[in-house]
Amino acid sequence: MDSFISVSPLKILEKSSRKGLGKGNLGVLIARAGVGKTACLVHIALDKLFRKERLVHVSLEEGPEKVTAYYNVMVSDLVKALNLEDEAEIRWIIDRNRMILAYLNRSFSMERLERSLTSLVDNLDFAPETLIVDGLDFESADREIIERFKDLAGRCDVEIWFSALSHRHITETNERGIPYPCERFDDLFSLIIRLDPDPTGVFLRLLKDYDAPVAPGMAVRLDPNTFLALD
Amino acid sequence: MDDVRKLRNIGISAHIDSGKTTLTERILYYTKRIFAMHEVRGKDGVGATMDSMELEKERGITISSAATYCEWGGHRINIIDTPGHVDFTIEVERALRVLDGAILILCAVGGVQSQSLTVDRQMNRYKVPRIAFVNKCDRSGADPYRVVDQLRERLGHNPVLMQIPIGLEGDFRGVVDLVRMKAVYFDGPHGEEVRVEDIPAELLEEAEKRREDMLDAASMFSDELTEAVLEDHVTEDLIHDAVRSGTLSLRMTPVFVGSAYKNIGVQPALDAVVHYLPSPPDVPVHALDPDHDEREIPLQCTPDGPTVALAFKLEVTPYGQLTYVRIYQGSVGKGDDLYIIRSGKKIKVGRLVRMHADEMEDISRAYAGDIVALFGVECYSGDTFTDGRVNYTMSSMFVPEPVISLALSPRDKKAQDNMSKALGRFAREDPTFRTHVDRESGETIISGMGELHLEVYVERMRREFNAEVTTGMPQVAYRESLTKRADFDYTHKKQTGGAGQYGRVAGFIEPSREGTFEFVNQVKGGAIPTEFIPAVEKGFRSCMEKGLLVEFPVVGMKVTVNDGQAHSVDSSERAFLAAAVGAFGQAYPKAGPVILEPIMKIAVETPSEFQGTVMSSINQRRGLIMSSTEDGTFSTIEAEVPLAEMFGYATTLRSLTQGKAEFTMEFSRYAKVPEAVAEELKSRKRRK
Repeated sequence: MDSFISVSPLKILEKSSRKGLGKGNLGVLIARAGVGKTACLVHIALDKLFRKERLVHVSLEEGPEKVTAYYNVMVSDLVKALNLEDEAEIRWIIDRNRMILAYLNRSFSMERLERSLTSLVDNLDFAPETLIVDGLDFESADREIIERFKDLAGRCDVEIWFSALSHRHITETNERGIPYPCERFDDLFSLIIRLDPDPTGVFLRLLKDYDAPVAPGMAVRLDPNTFLALD
Repeated sequence: MDDVRKLRNIGISAHIDSGKTTLTERILYYTKRIFAMHEVRGKDGVGATMDSMELEKERGITISSAATYCEWGGHRINIIDTPGHVDFTIEVERALRVLDGAILILCAVGGVQSQSLTVDRQMNRYKVPRIAFVNKCDRSGADPYRVVDQLRERLGHNPVLMQIPIGLEGDFRGVVDLVRMKAVYFDGPHGEEVRVEDIPAELLEEAEKRREDMLDAASMFSDELTEAVLEDHVTEDLIHDAVRSGTLSLRMTPVFVGSAYKNIGVQPALDAVVHYLPSPPDVPVHALDPDHDEREIPLQCTPDGPTVALAFKLEVTPYGQLTYVRIYQGSVGKGDDLYIIRSGKKIKVGRLVRMHADEMEDISRAYAGDIVALFGVECYSGDTFTDGRVNYTMSSMFVPEPVISLALSPRDKKAQDNMSKALGRFAREDPTFRTHVDRESGETIISGMGELHLEVYVERMRREFNAEVTTGMPQVAYRESLTKRADFDYTHKKQTGGAGQYGRVAGFIEPSREGTFEFVNQVKGGAIPTEFIPAVEKGFRSCMEKGLLVEFPVVGMKVTVNDGQAHSVDSSERAFLAAAVGAFGQAYPKAGPVILEPIMKIAVETPSEFQGTVMSSINQRRGLIMSSTEDGTFSTIEAEVPLAEMFGYATTLRSLTQGKAEFTMEFSRYAKVPEAVAEELKSRKRRK
């Protein structure tokens, strides 16, 4: 799957100063509703899974069937784009290395998540290297919960990627140029990227790169249907 | 003939123990089909009317789909009571095939449970419009609003509350009808007296808010209602029409609340069946024309067209076979001649009856749209009947292959005879139940979809047919398959006096993409004469029955024959058949043969405190956990587990979780067994 990076939206991370997020750190992908947050997060997940790294996908809005459907669609697009032959083998690798934890109807809490992660390690010997957290309500999230995720990332030696929902009508940014809804705790995130639709495609822009300055125009253009990199 | 638009064919489908038999019983009581009510596990020893089989009464579950008929609000309603356990899903699938609509019962405490997911998937497959009835609102922990959220989140429905409860748990005493904006109470010893009053003041604000939500949702399906909402002249009829339109298009699920056990909310649910579920002409139906490549032919729900009817359920009674049929077109009357499309056999309709669980009412004719039963007709479940004017067949139902088998030994000669009768009957009733005699051991083998599925038939054999049998250990239906291409070039030559035998075949075998048997003839220049090619194919096909690894059936093999040789005198069909068998023996060991086992998709629903314990129990069974979903205080763990590891899991799960967890299981796919298991199977074979 070396060819994956040639079409993966993760090319944007290749442009970052440390070529990725790294364990103990938090990253966030900001986008408006319907632009493709989950699709991009799934690409981040696939990159890890293809390296046979273990990953937990935490879904706070959708049940496992929908999450699995997202992965299936993304994999089908990849198989077509890269002309891959052994789709069954790819799906097997994904099933072996991915665990979906869904929390429906506001049943999410950090205690529950930690208990499930402990249970995965104790009962299944499944120690993830990455957590994908999709659907956390950043608008109502307080600083404490993000700090607890940061603490979890350090203690469990995982990198954690989030999706955050922004709104067209809220345009303010903080003094460091980080937009709503992450402007209140951007110091806790190592990487912040934003998905911007544009008449010529969808752009993935790097907004924060650890403490390194971000050059303007640090972006990757994506196919709006498959979310695979075009350039 | 009555107006077919005033007919409803409905199913009551739900999670086990969510109260469907109790609800059905109440419906029959209020529609005056019965005059006393019993409980499912009745203290009076009578049991609810729909549970017609002794075994069902004992277990408190419903195994067979008993059909029954009643009338409500000037409408005729046929109710098919469907089983709730996943091991009997063929019963559910069959019932859904002939239904036009359904009541999906959900438990106000347990909510959308794993079984509800399976049943809902089945309803989606047959595009059955449904209304939801949130039952058991009188129970401690009841929360119908949470169930509505779960309908949306877990089943992907667009649920719309048509009522709100008045009180909950021990205080549950009635419902607020959001269409009429009235409180409805159910008085009398059995709730038969419906009392309509003003909405209690403390619920008025909530009711107004919920009505607005309901009108918003319903307006999506009616411009007239949208206009009426804006102009503030909404009528009950406008709401009914809009909700009906949303329900029929499967884009809305109206939700009702109640407690069948406490006789609350059943009559409004019956009103909803009449208002919102489809009549037969509302549902387009197609037959297949076998004379024209199974082209789809739309059927008209009229009494005049050529008759087309489907036998969807057989039942043995002391008086002979009872065949439940759904008439899709035309009519069926006493004395009519009908033709069974499968066999071409002509049958005469002796008695035509309308069923009410165990009782029956003779009728002289039934028309398109109706569900009735024929008496004394010899046929199979799934057969299509016509009056001979057309040769159509109803589309075949999805029938999964059995995954588990069990050896039976009758205790004595009498038991042997009775067992044979029973097996013949069950195989006709249930296409997922198969039976055969093992050629080597001489044992009778039954096969089905799960342990419980087979256990129930064994018990029915004892109780209904007086056949005492002992059973062996359940056996998993393993398969063998190839993983790579292997060439063959085999000559069958025999010269032992008299006419000789000669045939040479060459080519290769390889895995087939479709998982079936494929045969490709690429022989050029008559190297194998054309008349012997079918014998070559037959020879290879016969090898699929028993692989050379551990003698399990072989699946997914493609054979390409590209060369060969014949002898002008000694070649024959028999010689080429033998050559093909020899060629298979030559190539198969080189084709990387593997053993495959059935993998089951399981969903375990457990209080969250046992999440870790359950995960561990699945892991110990070579299971691959795919996900865990937490919702309220419950977790649902979905996993794939080899069937061979699932024997006795129900007992294990009960003891691990103090009986609080349950699981469902359905076939997912075949997968290669791990090396250690393959070795164990091979050595077991060697020991035999």
